[in-house]
Amino acid sequence: MLTFIARRLALAVATVLAVVTIAFVLGRATGEPGALLLPDNATQADVEALNSALGFDRPLLVQYLDTLVGLVTGDFGDSYRLRESALGLVLERVPATIELAFWAFLIGLALALVAALTIQLSGSRVLRAIVGWAGALRQSVPDFFFALLLVLVFSVLLGALPSLGRTSYASLVLPVITLATGQFVMYLRLLDAALSEQAGQDFVRTAIAQGQRRSTVLFTRMLPNAIVPVLGMAGLNLGGLLGGTVVVEVVFAWPGLGKLLTDAVSQRDFPIVQAGLVFVALAFVIVNTAVDVLVRRIDTRTAAA
Amino acid sequence: MTTSLTLAPTPVVRRWRPRPGAIVGAVMLGTVLLLTAIVPLLPGYDPMGQDLRAALLPPLADPAHPLGTDALGRDLLSRLALASAVTLGMTVLIVIMNAVLGSILGILAGYYGGRFEAFITLVSNVTLAMPVVLLLIAICAVLRPSAGLTILVLGCTWWVGYARVTRNIAATLRRQDFVVSPLTQGADSVWVLTRHILPNVWPHTLIIAATDVATIVLITSSLEYLGLGVQPPVPSWGSMIFDGQRHLAGDPWLALLPGVVMLLAVGGVQFLSQQFTAETRGGLLRKGGMR
Repeated sequence: MLTFIARRLALAVATVLAVVTIAFVLGRATGEPGALLLPDNATQADVEALNSALGFDRPLLVQYLDTLVGLVTGDFGDSYRLRESALGLVLERVPATIELAFWAFLIGLALALVAALTIQLSGSRVLRAIVGWAGALRQSVPDFFFALLLVLVFSVLLGALPSLGRTSYASLVLPVITLATGQFVMYLRLLDAALSEQAGQDFVRTAIAQGQRRSTVLFTRMLPNAIVPVLGMAGLNLGGLLGGTVVVEVVFAWPGLGKLLTDAVSQRDFPIVQAGLVFVALAFVIVNTAVDVLVRRIDTRTAAA
Repeated sequence: MTTSLTLAPTPVVRRWRPRPGAIVGAVMLGTVLLLTAIVPLLPGYDPMGQDLRAALLPPLADPAHPLGTDALGRDLLSRLALASAVTLGMTVLIVIMNAVLGSILGILAGYYGGRFEAFITLVSNVTLAMPVVLLLIAICAVLRPSAGLTILVLGCTWWVGYARVTRNIAATLRRQDFVVSPLTQGADSVWVLTRHILPNVWPHTLIIAATDVATIVLITSSLEYLGLGVQPPVPSWGSMIFDGQRHLAGDPWLALLPGVVMLLAVGGVQFLSQQFTAETRGGLLRKGGMR
Protein backbone atom coordinates (compact mmCIF):
# COMPACT_ATOMS: atom_id res chain seq x y z
CA MET A 1 0.00 0.00 0.00
CA LEU A 2 2.79 2.44 0.91
CA THR A 3 4.71 1.75 -2.28
CA PHE A 4 1.49 2.25 -4.20
CA ILE A 5 0.94 5.64 -2.57
CA ALA A 6 4.56 6.60 -3.18
CA ARG A 7 4.33 5.68 -6.87
CA ARG A 8 1.03 7.49 -7.18
CA LEU A 9 2.55 10.62 -5.58
CA ALA A 10 5.54 10.46 -7.95
CA LEU A 11 3.11 10.37 -10.87
CA ALA A 12 1.24 13.33 -9.41
CA VAL A 13 4.45 15.35 -9.14
CA ALA A 14 5.42 14.40 -12.70
CA THR A 15 2.01 15.53 -13.94
CA VAL A 16 2.18 18.90 -12.22
CA LEU A 17 5.74 19.38 -13.53
CA ALA A 18 4.54 18.61 -17.05
CA VAL A 19 1.73 21.18 -16.79
CA VAL A 20 4.10 23.80 -15.38
CA THR A 21 6.56 23.13 -18.19
CA ILE A 22 3.84 23.40 -20.86
CA ALA A 23 2.61 26.62 -19.27
CA PHE A 24 6.17 27.99 -19.13
CA VAL A 25 6.88 27.12 -22.78
CA LEU A 26 3.57 28.69 -23.82
CA GLY A 27 4.43 31.84 -21.87
CA ARG A 28 7.76 32.17 -23.67
CA ALA A 29 6.36 31.17 -27.07
CA THR A 30 4.18 34.28 -27.13
CA GLY A 31 7.21 36.52 -27.11
CA GLU A 32 8.46 39.00 -24.56
CA PRO A 33 5.75 40.89 -22.70
CA GLY A 34 7.30 44.34 -23.26
CA ALA A 35 6.39 44.40 -26.94
CA LEU A 36 2.92 42.97 -26.24
CA LEU A 37 1.94 45.19 -23.35
CA LEU A 38 3.28 48.61 -24.25
CA PRO A 39 1.62 50.78 -26.89
CA ASP A 40 3.09 50.81 -30.39
CA ASN A 41 4.81 54.18 -29.91
CA ALA A 42 6.87 52.97 -26.92
CA THR A 43 10.62 53.35 -27.36
CA GLN A 44 12.96 50.40 -27.52
CA ALA A 45 14.40 51.46 -24.14
CA ASP A 46 10.92 51.32 -22.55
CA VAL A 47 10.32 47.85 -23.91
CA GLU A 48 13.64 46.59 -22.61
CA ALA A 49 13.09 48.24 -19.22
CA LEU A 50 9.76 46.47 -18.83
CA ASN A 51 11.21 43.14 -19.96
CA SER A 52 13.98 43.35 -17.39
CA ALA A 53 11.56 44.52 -14.70
CA LEU A 54 9.53 41.37 -15.35
CA GLY A 55 12.67 39.26 -15.40
CA PHE A 56 12.54 38.34 -19.08
CA ASP A 57 16.15 39.35 -19.74
CA ARG A 58 17.52 36.50 -17.65
CA PRO A 59 18.63 33.16 -19.16
CA LEU A 60 15.71 30.80 -19.91
CA LEU A 61 16.94 28.19 -17.46
CA VAL A 62 17.02 30.72 -14.62
CA GLN A 63 13.49 31.82 -15.52
CA TYR A 64 12.32 28.22 -15.54
CA LEU A 65 13.88 27.45 -12.16
CA ASP A 66 12.34 30.66 -10.86
CA THR A 67 8.93 29.42 -12.04
CA LEU A 68 9.46 26.14 -10.21
CA VAL A 69 10.44 27.94 -7.02
CA GLY A 70 7.35 30.12 -7.45
CA LEU A 71 5.27 26.96 -7.71
CA VAL A 72 6.44 25.85 -4.28
CA THR A 73 6.12 29.25 -2.63
CA GLY A 74 2.82 30.00 -4.37
CA ASP A 75 4.26 33.02 -6.16
CA PHE A 76 3.23 33.14 -9.82
CA GLY A 77 4.06 36.81 -10.30
CA ASP A 78 1.69 39.70 -10.80
CA SER A 79 -0.90 39.99 -13.51
CA TYR A 80 0.49 42.14 -16.35
CA ARG A 81 -2.65 44.23 -16.62
CA LEU A 82 -4.09 44.37 -13.12
CA ARG A 83 -0.79 44.57 -11.23
CA GLU A 84 -2.15 42.18 -8.63
CA SER A 85 -1.00 38.75 -7.52
CA ALA A 86 -2.00 36.30 -10.28
CA LEU A 87 -2.69 33.56 -7.77
CA GLY A 88 -4.92 35.91 -5.78
CA LEU A 89 -6.97 36.69 -8.89
CA VAL A 90 -7.30 32.97 -9.63
CA LEU A 91 -8.34 32.07 -6.08
CA GLU A 92 -10.92 34.84 -6.15
CA ARG A 93 -12.68 33.10 -9.05
CA VAL A 94 -12.41 29.54 -7.78
CA PRO A 95 -15.59 29.46 -5.64
CA ALA A 96 -17.80 30.32 -8.63
CA THR A 97 -16.33 27.47 -10.69
CA ILE A 98 -16.50 24.99 -7.83
CA GLU A 99 -20.13 25.94 -7.31
CA LEU A 100 -20.94 24.96 -10.91
CA ALA A 101 -18.81 21.83 -10.99
CA PHE A 102 -19.97 20.60 -7.58
CA TRP A 103 -23.71 20.88 -8.27
CA ALA A 104 -23.32 19.46 -11.76
CA PHE A 105 -21.41 16.47 -10.42
CA LEU A 106 -23.77 15.87 -7.52
CA ILE A 107 -27.00 16.19 -9.48
CA GLY A 108 -25.67 14.22 -12.45
CA LEU A 109 -24.45 11.36 -10.26
CA ALA A 110 -27.58 11.28 -8.08
CA LEU A 111 -29.93 11.20 -11.07
CA ALA A 112 -27.79 8.54 -12.75
CA LEU A 113 -27.96 6.42 -9.60
CA VAL A 114 -31.74 6.74 -9.41
CA ALA A 115 -32.14 5.96 -13.11
CA ALA A 116 -29.76 2.98 -13.07
CA LEU A 117 -31.44 1.47 -10.00
CA THR A 118 -34.90 2.00 -11.49
CA ILE A 119 -33.82 0.27 -14.70
CA GLN A 120 -32.43 -2.68 -12.73
CA LEU A 121 -35.43 -3.01 -10.42
CA SER A 122 -38.05 -2.73 -13.13
CA GLY A 123 -36.06 -4.73 -15.69
CA SER A 124 -37.77 -2.55 -18.27
CA ARG A 125 -36.22 -2.66 -21.69
CA VAL A 126 -38.33 0.24 -22.85
CA LEU A 127 -37.03 2.46 -20.06
CA ARG A 128 -33.43 1.52 -20.80
CA ALA A 129 -33.94 2.16 -24.50
CA ILE A 130 -35.53 5.56 -23.90
CA VAL A 131 -32.80 6.65 -21.50
CA GLY A 132 -30.15 5.27 -23.83
CA TRP A 133 -31.43 7.16 -26.87
CA ALA A 134 -31.90 10.39 -24.93
CA GLY A 135 -28.37 10.04 -23.58
CA ALA A 136 -26.92 9.42 -27.03
CA LEU A 137 -28.68 12.55 -28.32
CA ARG A 138 -27.36 14.63 -25.41
CA GLN A 139 -23.86 13.40 -26.09
CA SER A 140 -24.21 14.29 -29.77
CA VAL A 141 -24.27 18.00 -29.09
CA PRO A 142 -21.53 19.95 -27.32
CA ASP A 143 -22.23 21.67 -24.01
CA PHE A 144 -22.37 25.10 -25.55
CA PHE A 145 -25.12 24.15 -28.02
CA PHE A 146 -27.19 22.39 -25.36
CA ALA A 147 -26.76 25.52 -23.24
CA LEU A 148 -28.07 27.65 -26.11
CA LEU A 149 -31.11 25.39 -26.46
CA LEU A 150 -31.83 25.84 -22.75
CA VAL A 151 -31.42 29.61 -23.06
CA LEU A 152 -33.73 29.64 -26.07
CA VAL A 153 -36.46 27.75 -24.24
CA PHE A 154 -36.20 29.01 -20.66
CA SER A 155 -34.90 32.55 -21.13
CA VAL A 156 -36.06 33.68 -24.57
CA LEU A 157 -39.38 31.84 -24.99
CA LEU A 158 -40.53 31.42 -21.37
CA GLY A 159 -38.60 34.28 -19.83
CA ALA A 160 -38.32 32.20 -16.66
CA LEU A 161 -34.59 32.03 -15.99
CA PRO A 162 -31.64 34.39 -16.40
CA SER A 163 -29.22 33.54 -19.20
CA LEU A 164 -26.20 35.59 -18.14
CA GLY A 165 -24.11 36.28 -15.08
CA ARG A 166 -24.15 35.11 -11.50
CA THR A 167 -26.72 37.18 -9.71
CA SER A 168 -29.05 34.82 -7.86
CA TYR A 169 -29.67 31.14 -7.31
CA ALA A 170 -31.82 31.20 -10.45
CA SER A 171 -28.75 31.97 -12.55
CA LEU A 172 -27.22 28.69 -11.37
CA VAL A 173 -30.00 26.62 -12.93
CA LEU A 174 -29.18 26.69 -16.65
CA PRO A 175 -25.39 26.22 -16.43
CA VAL A 176 -25.80 23.45 -13.88
CA ILE A 177 -28.42 21.64 -16.00
CA THR A 178 -26.09 21.91 -19.00
CA LEU A 179 -23.19 20.30 -17.17
CA ALA A 180 -25.26 17.88 -15.08
CA THR A 181 -26.98 16.29 -18.10
CA GLY A 182 -23.58 15.50 -19.59
CA GLN A 183 -22.45 13.99 -16.28
CA PHE A 184 -25.72 12.09 -15.96
CA VAL A 185 -25.32 10.30 -19.29
CA MET A 186 -21.77 9.23 -18.55
CA TYR A 187 -22.43 7.97 -15.03
CA LEU A 188 -25.62 6.21 -16.09
CA ARG A 189 -23.70 4.24 -18.73
CA LEU A 190 -20.99 3.28 -16.26
CA LEU A 191 -23.46 2.32 -13.53
CA ASP A 192 -25.70 0.38 -15.88
CA ALA A 193 -22.75 -1.56 -17.29
CA ALA A 194 -21.38 -2.29 -13.80
CA LEU A 195 -24.76 -3.33 -12.36
CA SER A 196 -25.56 -5.48 -15.39
CA GLU A 197 -22.26 -7.25 -14.99
CA GLN A 198 -22.99 -7.83 -11.30
CA ALA A 199 -26.44 -9.20 -12.09
CA GLY A 200 -24.91 -12.11 -14.01
CA GLN A 201 -22.67 -13.15 -11.11
CA ASP A 202 -23.20 -16.37 -9.19
CA PHE A 203 -23.47 -14.74 -5.78
CA VAL A 204 -26.36 -12.65 -7.01
CA ARG A 205 -28.17 -15.68 -8.40
CA THR A 206 -27.56 -17.54 -5.16
CA ALA A 207 -28.94 -14.70 -3.09
CA ILE A 208 -32.05 -14.57 -5.28
CA ALA A 209 -32.40 -18.36 -5.07
CA GLN A 210 -32.25 -18.14 -1.27
CA GLY A 211 -35.30 -15.96 -1.46
CA GLN A 212 -33.79 -12.61 -0.70
CA ARG A 213 -35.75 -9.72 -2.00
CA ARG A 214 -34.50 -8.28 -5.28
CA SER A 215 -34.23 -4.79 -3.84
CA THR A 216 -32.17 -6.12 -0.92
CA VAL A 217 -29.81 -7.92 -3.29
CA LEU A 218 -29.51 -4.83 -5.45
CA PHE A 219 -28.74 -2.43 -2.61
CA THR A 220 -26.61 -4.60 -0.33
CA ARG A 221 -24.77 -6.85 -2.81
CA MET A 222 -24.67 -5.38 -6.28
CA LEU A 223 -24.46 -1.65 -5.65
CA PRO A 224 -21.37 -1.65 -3.38
CA ASN A 225 -19.45 -3.59 -6.04
CA ALA A 226 -20.75 -1.52 -8.93
CA ILE A 227 -19.98 1.85 -7.37
CA VAL A 228 -16.21 1.27 -7.16
CA PRO A 229 -15.35 1.49 -10.88
CA VAL A 230 -17.69 4.46 -11.17
CA LEU A 231 -15.79 6.17 -8.37
CA GLY A 232 -12.51 5.58 -10.19
CA MET A 233 -13.92 7.08 -13.38
CA ALA A 234 -15.30 10.05 -11.47
CA GLY A 235 -11.77 11.10 -10.52
CA LEU A 236 -10.49 10.85 -14.09
CA ASN A 237 -13.57 12.62 -15.35
CA LEU A 238 -12.96 15.68 -13.20
CA GLY A 239 -10.62 17.02 -15.88
CA GLY A 240 -13.36 16.71 -18.48
CA LEU A 241 -15.80 18.42 -16.15
CA LEU A 242 -13.39 21.32 -15.64
CA GLY A 243 -12.80 21.62 -19.38
CA GLY A 244 -16.56 21.63 -19.95
CA THR A 245 -17.01 24.22 -17.23
CA VAL A 246 -14.67 26.58 -19.08
CA VAL A 247 -16.87 26.59 -22.18
CA VAL A 248 -20.11 26.76 -20.23
CA GLU A 249 -18.78 29.69 -18.20
CA VAL A 250 -18.11 31.53 -21.45
CA VAL A 251 -21.66 30.85 -22.72
CA PHE A 252 -23.33 32.09 -19.54
CA ALA A 253 -20.77 34.84 -18.75
CA TRP A 254 -20.24 33.06 -15.43
CA PRO A 255 -17.49 34.84 -13.47
CA GLY A 256 -15.42 31.72 -12.75
CA LEU A 257 -11.99 30.36 -13.45
CA GLY A 258 -12.76 29.46 -17.08
CA LYS A 259 -13.93 32.96 -17.90
CA LEU A 260 -10.85 34.41 -16.20
CA LEU A 261 -8.53 32.07 -18.10
CA THR A 262 -10.08 32.62 -21.54
CA ASP A 263 -10.04 36.38 -20.97
CA ALA A 264 -6.44 36.27 -19.74
CA VAL A 265 -5.43 34.20 -22.76
CA SER A 266 -6.92 36.70 -25.19
CA GLN A 267 -5.23 39.57 -23.33
CA ARG A 268 -1.89 37.72 -23.20
CA ASP A 269 -1.87 38.14 -19.42
CA PHE A 270 0.37 35.20 -18.91
CA PRO A 271 0.92 35.04 -15.14
CA ILE A 272 -2.84 34.49 -14.74
CA VAL A 273 -2.90 31.73 -17.36
CA GLN A 274 0.06 30.06 -15.68
CA ALA A 275 -1.38 30.34 -12.17
CA GLY A 276 -4.80 29.13 -13.38
CA LEU A 277 -3.46 26.13 -15.31
CA VAL A 278 -1.25 25.06 -12.42
CA PHE A 279 -4.07 25.51 -9.91
CA VAL A 280 -6.44 23.37 -12.00
CA ALA A 281 -3.76 20.75 -12.55
CA LEU A 282 -3.02 20.61 -8.82
CA ALA A 283 -6.68 20.28 -7.88
CA PHE A 284 -7.15 17.62 -10.54
CA VAL A 285 -4.09 15.64 -9.51
CA ILE A 286 -4.96 15.79 -5.80
CA VAL A 287 -8.51 14.54 -6.38
CA ASN A 288 -7.28 11.86 -8.77
CA THR A 289 -4.66 10.58 -6.37
CA ALA A 290 -7.10 10.61 -3.46
CA VAL A 291 -9.69 8.68 -5.50
CA ASP A 292 -7.11 6.11 -6.61
CA VAL A 293 -5.99 5.48 -3.03
CA LEU A 294 -9.61 5.34 -1.89
CA VAL A 295 -10.61 2.84 -4.59
CA ARG A 296 -7.64 0.73 -3.64
CA ARG A 297 -8.68 0.74 0.02
CA ILE A 298 -12.30 -0.12 -0.75
CA ASP A 299 -11.66 -2.74 -3.40
CA THR A 300 -8.86 -4.98 -2.20
CA ARG A 301 -8.95 -6.91 -5.49
CA THR A 302 -7.16 -4.06 -7.28
CA ALA A 303 -4.21 -4.51 -4.93
CA ALA A 304 -3.39 -7.79 -6.66
CA ALA A 305 -3.20 -6.22 -10.09
CA MET B 1 -44.45 -48.87 -33.45
CA THR B 2 -43.31 -45.50 -34.37
CA THR B 3 -39.95 -44.13 -33.77
CA SER B 4 -40.16 -40.73 -32.36
CA LEU B 5 -37.48 -38.58 -33.70
CA THR B 6 -36.70 -35.39 -31.94
CA LEU B 7 -35.59 -33.03 -34.56
CA ALA B 8 -33.40 -30.16 -33.70
CA PRO B 9 -35.10 -26.89 -34.41
CA THR B 10 -34.52 -25.73 -37.93
CA PRO B 11 -31.23 -23.93 -37.91
CA VAL B 12 -31.78 -20.28 -38.29
CA VAL B 13 -29.33 -18.79 -40.70
CA ARG B 14 -27.50 -16.29 -38.65
CA ARG B 15 -27.58 -13.30 -40.89
CA TRP B 16 -25.79 -10.08 -40.19
CA ARG B 17 -28.68 -7.86 -39.40
CA PRO B 18 -28.20 -4.17 -38.71
CA ARG B 19 -29.63 -2.91 -35.46
CA PRO B 20 -32.32 -0.26 -35.84
CA GLY B 21 -29.96 2.25 -34.28
CA ALA B 22 -27.42 1.63 -37.02
CA ILE B 23 -29.95 2.36 -39.76
CA VAL B 24 -30.98 5.60 -38.06
CA GLY B 25 -27.30 6.47 -37.65
CA ALA B 26 -26.52 5.79 -41.29
CA VAL B 27 -29.44 7.97 -42.40
CA MET B 28 -28.36 10.81 -40.08
CA LEU B 29 -24.73 10.78 -41.12
CA GLY B 30 -25.71 10.21 -44.77
CA THR B 31 -27.83 13.37 -44.74
CA VAL B 32 -24.87 15.48 -43.65
CA LEU B 33 -22.51 13.82 -46.15
CA LEU B 34 -25.04 14.42 -48.93
CA LEU B 35 -25.29 18.04 -47.84
CA THR B 36 -21.54 18.53 -48.15
CA ALA B 37 -21.40 16.68 -51.47
CA ILE B 38 -24.39 18.11 -53.33
CA VAL B 39 -24.72 21.72 -52.17
CA PRO B 40 -21.43 22.91 -53.74
CA LEU B 41 -22.81 21.70 -57.10
CA LEU B 42 -25.95 23.85 -56.81
CA PRO B 43 -26.05 27.09 -58.80
CA GLY B 44 -26.58 29.32 -55.74
CA TYR B 45 -23.52 27.99 -53.84
CA ASP B 46 -21.66 30.93 -52.36
CA PRO B 47 -20.56 30.52 -48.72
CA MET B 48 -18.59 33.79 -48.52
CA GLY B 49 -20.53 36.26 -50.71
CA GLN B 50 -22.16 39.01 -48.66
CA ASP B 51 -25.39 40.75 -49.58
CA LEU B 52 -26.41 43.18 -46.85
CA ARG B 53 -29.74 43.94 -48.56
CA ALA B 54 -30.71 40.29 -48.07
CA ALA B 55 -29.46 39.95 -44.48
CA LEU B 56 -31.24 37.77 -41.90
CA LEU B 57 -33.71 36.19 -44.34
CA PRO B 58 -35.68 33.42 -42.60
CA PRO B 59 -35.59 29.90 -44.07
CA LEU B 60 -37.88 29.17 -47.03
CA ALA B 61 -38.52 32.89 -47.62
CA ASP B 62 -36.43 33.31 -50.74
CA PRO B 63 -35.87 30.52 -53.28
CA ALA B 64 -32.33 31.81 -53.82
CA HIS B 65 -31.54 31.15 -50.12
CA PRO B 66 -33.51 28.02 -49.09
CA LEU B 67 -32.29 28.09 -45.48
CA GLY B 68 -32.13 31.87 -45.22
CA THR B 69 -29.13 34.15 -44.70
CA ASP B 70 -27.00 35.33 -41.79
CA ALA B 71 -26.42 38.85 -40.47
CA LEU B 72 -24.13 39.64 -43.41
CA GLY B 73 -26.54 38.21 -45.96
CA ARG B 74 -24.46 35.11 -46.63
CA ASP B 75 -26.34 32.03 -47.84
CA LEU B 76 -26.82 29.71 -44.85
CA LEU B 77 -27.18 26.47 -46.84
CA SER B 78 -23.85 27.07 -48.57
CA ARG B 79 -22.16 27.98 -45.31
CA LEU B 80 -23.55 24.90 -43.58
CA ALA B 81 -22.25 22.67 -46.37
CA LEU B 82 -18.78 24.20 -46.24
CA ALA B 83 -18.71 24.19 -42.43
CA SER B 84 -19.64 20.50 -42.37
CA ALA B 85 -16.93 19.66 -44.87
CA VAL B 86 -14.38 21.68 -42.89
CA THR B 87 -15.19 20.27 -39.45
CA LEU B 88 -15.65 16.68 -40.62
CA GLY B 89 -12.46 16.88 -42.69
CA MET B 90 -10.48 18.20 -39.72
CA THR B 91 -11.95 15.52 -37.49
CA VAL B 92 -11.07 12.67 -39.84
CA LEU B 93 -7.53 13.99 -40.17
CA ILE B 94 -7.12 14.36 -36.39
CA VAL B 95 -8.52 10.88 -35.70
CA ILE B 96 -6.27 9.28 -38.33
CA MET B 97 -3.20 11.09 -36.97
CA ASN B 98 -3.92 9.94 -33.41
CA ALA B 99 -4.82 6.38 -34.43
CA VAL B 100 -1.60 5.98 -36.44
CA LEU B 101 0.63 7.68 -33.86
CA GLY B 102 -0.94 5.94 -30.86
CA SER B 103 -0.94 2.51 -32.50
CA ILE B 104 2.67 2.76 -33.62
CA LEU B 105 3.83 3.89 -30.18
CA GLY B 106 1.67 1.27 -28.49
CA ILE B 107 2.79 -1.61 -30.72
CA LEU B 108 6.47 -0.72 -30.38
CA ALA B 109 6.13 -0.29 -26.61
CA GLY B 110 4.31 -3.61 -26.21
CA TYR B 111 6.62 -5.49 -28.58
CA TYR B 112 9.98 -4.22 -27.41
CA GLY B 113 9.12 -3.52 -23.77
CA GLY B 114 11.90 -2.17 -21.61
CA ARG B 115 12.65 1.50 -21.16
CA PHE B 116 10.65 2.62 -24.17
CA GLU B 117 7.55 0.93 -22.78
CA ALA B 118 8.13 2.52 -19.37
CA PHE B 119 8.48 5.91 -21.03
CA ILE B 120 5.28 5.54 -23.08
CA THR B 121 3.41 4.33 -19.99
CA LEU B 122 4.63 7.33 -18.03
CA VAL B 123 3.63 9.75 -20.79
CA SER B 124 0.15 8.20 -21.07
CA ASN B 125 -0.36 8.23 -17.31
CA VAL B 126 0.69 11.86 -17.09
CA THR B 127 -1.57 12.77 -20.02
CA LEU B 128 -4.50 10.96 -18.43
CA ALA B 129 -3.93 12.86 -15.20
CA MET B 130 -3.96 16.26 -16.93
CA PRO B 131 -6.92 18.52 -17.65
CA VAL B 132 -6.23 18.02 -21.37
CA VAL B 133 -9.11 20.06 -22.82
CA LEU B 134 -8.12 23.05 -20.73
CA LEU B 135 -4.52 22.77 -21.91
CA LEU B 136 -5.66 22.45 -25.53
CA ILE B 137 -7.64 25.66 -25.15
CA ALA B 138 -4.59 27.40 -23.70
CA ILE B 139 -2.22 26.10 -26.38
CA CYS B 140 -4.53 26.94 -29.28
CA ALA B 141 -5.22 30.38 -27.86
CA VAL B 142 -1.67 31.40 -27.04
CA LEU B 143 -0.20 30.41 -30.37
CA ARG B 144 -1.88 31.97 -33.39
CA PRO B 145 -5.23 30.14 -33.72
CA SER B 146 -5.80 28.47 -37.09
CA ALA B 147 -7.27 25.28 -38.48
CA GLY B 148 -3.77 23.90 -39.02
CA LEU B 149 -2.77 24.52 -35.41
CA THR B 150 -5.89 22.80 -34.08
CA ILE B 151 -5.23 19.78 -36.28
CA LEU B 152 -1.59 19.67 -35.21
CA VAL B 153 -2.24 20.08 -31.48
CA LEU B 154 -5.24 17.76 -31.24
CA GLY B 155 -3.69 15.32 -33.73
CA CYS B 156 -0.62 14.84 -31.54
CA THR B 157 -2.20 14.74 -28.09
CA TRP B 158 -5.24 12.45 -28.21
CA TRP B 159 -3.43 9.14 -28.84
CA VAL B 160 -3.21 7.76 -25.32
CA GLY B 161 -6.29 5.54 -25.70
CA TYR B 162 -4.85 3.89 -28.84
CA ALA B 163 -1.42 3.45 -27.28
CA ARG B 164 -2.76 1.78 -24.14
CA VAL B 165 -4.93 -0.73 -25.98
CA THR B 166 -2.42 -1.61 -28.71
CA ARG B 167 0.41 -1.89 -26.18
CA ASN B 168 -1.54 -4.49 -24.21
CA ILE B 169 -2.36 -6.51 -27.35
CA ALA B 170 1.18 -6.36 -28.67
CA ALA B 171 2.59 -7.37 -25.27
CA THR B 172 0.31 -10.42 -25.23
CA LEU B 173 1.06 -11.39 -28.84
CA ARG B 174 4.81 -11.12 -28.33
CA ARG B 175 4.80 -14.38 -26.38
CA GLN B 176 2.57 -16.33 -28.78
CA ASP B 177 3.98 -19.17 -30.87
CA PHE B 178 3.08 -17.70 -34.23
CA VAL B 179 5.07 -14.60 -33.39
CA VAL B 180 8.05 -16.36 -31.85
CA SER B 181 8.45 -19.09 -34.48
CA PRO B 182 9.17 -16.84 -37.49
CA LEU B 183 11.83 -15.14 -35.36
CA THR B 184 13.56 -18.47 -34.77
CA GLN B 185 13.55 -19.05 -38.51
CA GLY B 186 15.35 -15.83 -39.23
CA ALA B 187 12.54 -13.37 -39.82
CA ASP B 188 13.34 -9.88 -38.66
CA SER B 189 11.23 -7.74 -36.35
CA VAL B 190 9.85 -5.64 -39.22
CA TRP B 191 8.42 -8.80 -40.83
CA VAL B 192 6.87 -9.97 -37.57
CA LEU B 193 5.47 -6.57 -36.71
CA THR B 194 3.86 -5.97 -40.10
CA ARG B 195 2.79 -9.56 -40.88
CA HIS B 196 1.77 -10.89 -37.48
CA ILE B 197 1.24 -8.10 -34.97
CA LEU B 198 -0.39 -5.41 -37.09
CA PRO B 199 -3.22 -7.55 -38.52
CA ASN B 200 -4.25 -8.45 -34.96
CA VAL B 201 -4.08 -4.91 -33.70
CA TRP B 202 -5.75 -2.70 -36.29
CA PRO B 203 -9.34 -3.89 -35.76
CA HIS B 204 -9.08 -2.64 -32.18
CA THR B 205 -7.63 0.65 -33.39
CA LEU B 206 -10.58 0.98 -35.74
CA ILE B 207 -13.11 0.53 -32.95
CA ILE B 208 -11.48 3.20 -30.80
CA ALA B 209 -11.32 5.51 -33.82
CA ALA B 210 -15.04 5.08 -34.51
CA THR B 211 -15.97 6.12 -30.99
CA ASP B 212 -13.33 8.86 -31.01
CA VAL B 213 -14.86 10.67 -33.99
CA ALA B 214 -17.72 12.03 -31.90
CA THR B 215 -15.40 13.19 -29.10
CA ILE B 216 -13.08 14.95 -31.52
CA VAL B 217 -15.96 16.72 -33.30
CA LEU B 218 -17.24 17.99 -29.95
CA ILE B 219 -13.80 19.20 -28.84
CA THR B 220 -13.00 20.83 -32.19
CA SER B 221 -16.31 22.65 -32.30
CA SER B 222 -15.90 23.80 -28.69
CA LEU B 223 -12.55 25.28 -29.71
CA GLU B 224 -14.22 26.86 -32.74
CA TYR B 225 -16.93 28.28 -30.51
CA LEU B 226 -14.21 29.97 -28.44
CA GLY B 227 -12.77 31.43 -31.66
CA LEU B 228 -9.85 28.97 -31.79
CA GLY B 229 -9.56 26.90 -34.93
CA VAL B 230 -10.92 27.73 -38.36
CA GLN B 231 -10.75 31.49 -38.82
CA PRO B 232 -13.37 33.66 -40.55
CA PRO B 233 -14.55 34.03 -43.24
CA VAL B 234 -14.37 30.22 -43.52
CA PRO B 235 -17.36 28.91 -41.56
CA SER B 236 -17.40 26.11 -38.99
CA TRP B 237 -20.20 24.70 -36.87
CA GLY B 238 -18.82 26.17 -33.66
CA SER B 239 -18.22 29.66 -35.03
CA MET B 240 -21.62 29.70 -36.81
CA ILE B 241 -23.34 28.88 -33.51
CA PHE B 242 -21.30 31.56 -31.76
CA ASP B 243 -22.33 34.14 -34.39
CA GLY B 244 -25.95 32.99 -34.22
CA GLN B 245 -26.05 33.33 -30.45
CA ARG B 246 -26.37 37.12 -30.76
CA HIS B 247 -29.56 36.71 -32.79
CA LEU B 248 -31.07 34.04 -30.55
CA ALA B 249 -34.10 36.12 -29.62
CA GLY B 250 -35.14 37.25 -33.09
CA ASP B 251 -33.60 34.76 -35.51
CA PRO B 252 -32.93 31.56 -33.58
CA TRP B 253 -32.46 29.46 -36.75
CA LEU B 254 -28.98 31.00 -37.19
CA ALA B 255 -27.74 29.09 -34.14
CA LEU B 256 -30.15 26.18 -34.40
CA LEU B 257 -29.40 25.01 -37.95
CA PRO B 258 -25.65 24.44 -37.48
CA GLY B 259 -26.45 22.71 -34.19
CA VAL B 260 -28.94 20.39 -35.88
CA VAL B 261 -26.43 19.50 -38.59
CA MET B 262 -23.84 18.76 -35.91
CA LEU B 263 -26.38 16.65 -34.02
CA LEU B 264 -27.09 14.65 -37.20
CA ALA B 265 -23.41 14.05 -37.87
CA VAL B 266 -22.25 13.23 -34.35
CA GLY B 267 -25.40 11.30 -33.45
CA GLY B 268 -25.13 9.38 -36.71
CA VAL B 269 -21.55 8.39 -35.98
CA GLN B 270 -22.45 7.38 -32.42
CA PHE B 271 -25.40 5.21 -33.43
CA LEU B 272 -23.28 3.61 -36.17
CA SER B 273 -20.36 2.90 -33.87
CA GLN B 274 -22.72 1.26 -31.40
CA GLN B 275 -23.27 -1.33 -34.11
CA PHE B 276 -19.64 -2.39 -33.65
CA THR B 277 -19.56 -2.27 -29.91
CA ALA B 278 -23.04 -3.74 -29.50
CA GLU B 279 -23.61 -5.36 -26.17
CA THR B 280 -26.70 -7.27 -25.39
CA ARG B 281 -27.79 -6.45 -21.92
CA GLY B 282 -31.00 -8.11 -20.93
CA GLY B 283 -33.38 -6.98 -18.28
CA LEU B 284 -31.62 -8.07 -15.17
CA LEU B 285 -33.94 -8.44 -12.30
CA ARG B 286 -36.86 -9.20 -14.56
CA LYS B 287 -40.06 -10.79 -13.47
CA GLY B 288 -39.78 -14.53 -13.80
CA GLY B 289 -36.32 -14.69 -12.35
CA MET B 290 -32.86 -13.98 -13.50
CA ARG B 291 -31.90 -14.30 -17.05
